Amino acid sequence: MPPSVSGDFDKNVFINCPFDPEYTSLLRPLLFTILYVGMIPKIGLERSDSGETRINKICEMMRDSRYSIHDLSRLQSRRRNEFYRMNMPFELGIEYGCRQFGPDHFRNKRCLILEKSRHDYAKALSDLAGVDIKSHQDKPEDLILAMRDWFFETVGLRNIDSRTVIWYKFTDFTSSFYNTRKNQGYSDEDIEDMSVPEYMHFIQEWLKDQRVTAQGATVRVHAQTPIISTTET
Amino acid sequence: MTKDSYHVVPAPNGGWSVKKGGAVRASKHFDNKADAEKWAKEAVRSQGAEIYVHRRDGTVEQKSGPTRDPRPSRGKHTSQP
Repeated sequence: MPPSVSGDFDKNVFINCPFDPEYTSLLRPLLFTILYVGMIPKIGLERSDSGETRINKICEMMRDSRYSIHDLSRLQSRRRNEFYRMNMPFELGIEYGCRQFGPDHFRNKRCLILEKSRHDYAKALSDLAGVDIKSHQDKPEDLILAMRDWFFETVGLRNIDSRTVIWYKFTDFTSSFYNTRKNQGYSDEDIEDMSVPEYMHFIQEWLKDQRVTAQGATVRVHAQTPIISTTET
Repeated sequence: MTKDSYHVVPAPNGGWSVKKGGAVRASKHFDNKADAEKWAKEAVRSQGAEIYVHRRDGTVEQKSGPTRDPRPSRGKHTSQP
């Protein structure tokens, strides 16, 4: 695998999560939190090129991202005849392989693994036994807490706002977003179904206006940490 | 947001909060959403502020206002007896 071509390797956060509408309520605060702390989300939905295969796009984003977030909370089929979801563990496996077998700078890759409830993953992915996984209970404010703590503990961001502040800022953003889009003639459906790139664009514009990005936060470089640890406890 | 606004939002540690737009601390905390909405409406009655009621996921469910105090100003003529 060739080395990263992106100059933002140390700020990019690859997102491995479901893309169905039911996950939107978690995906939007997830994107907001990454941008709020001054990092750059890399997600499969950020560009649409019919000539590019999905797996190639995913591998390129992983190659360009030092950090990654893997949400395994939707592995389980919930309805009769619904297929088991394997994309997320598959992509986590690629990330693990990068750290194990990739070039030297991939040894410093770090990831956050999320689950709905603590230890749920052990039933489906027992290879991860002993790995520190954070749970979000399907609640956006708990997701923000898990991410915020990981950005502090593992990514090394300092001067990072509390979960409460980030959550309240997110609700300020959603209010401003709703107001502005409504004034521009967007319907409720337009707002609900908005594509990820467009939604991310509006978050970035709002943060620019608010000047609240934690750009002053310093990133601490770890010399060596466990293979797939999510926190350094 | 240019106008003053109040927001009924889920509190991070459970229940519901009413917070002013841009504030990072809640003005008041409630066990349920209905009580939070009721308090917010009373709080903005004389301020002409907007109220945003949010869903559990933080998105906006409805926006109302600005709400003005329907009571007539002191000394102003009204047709009420």
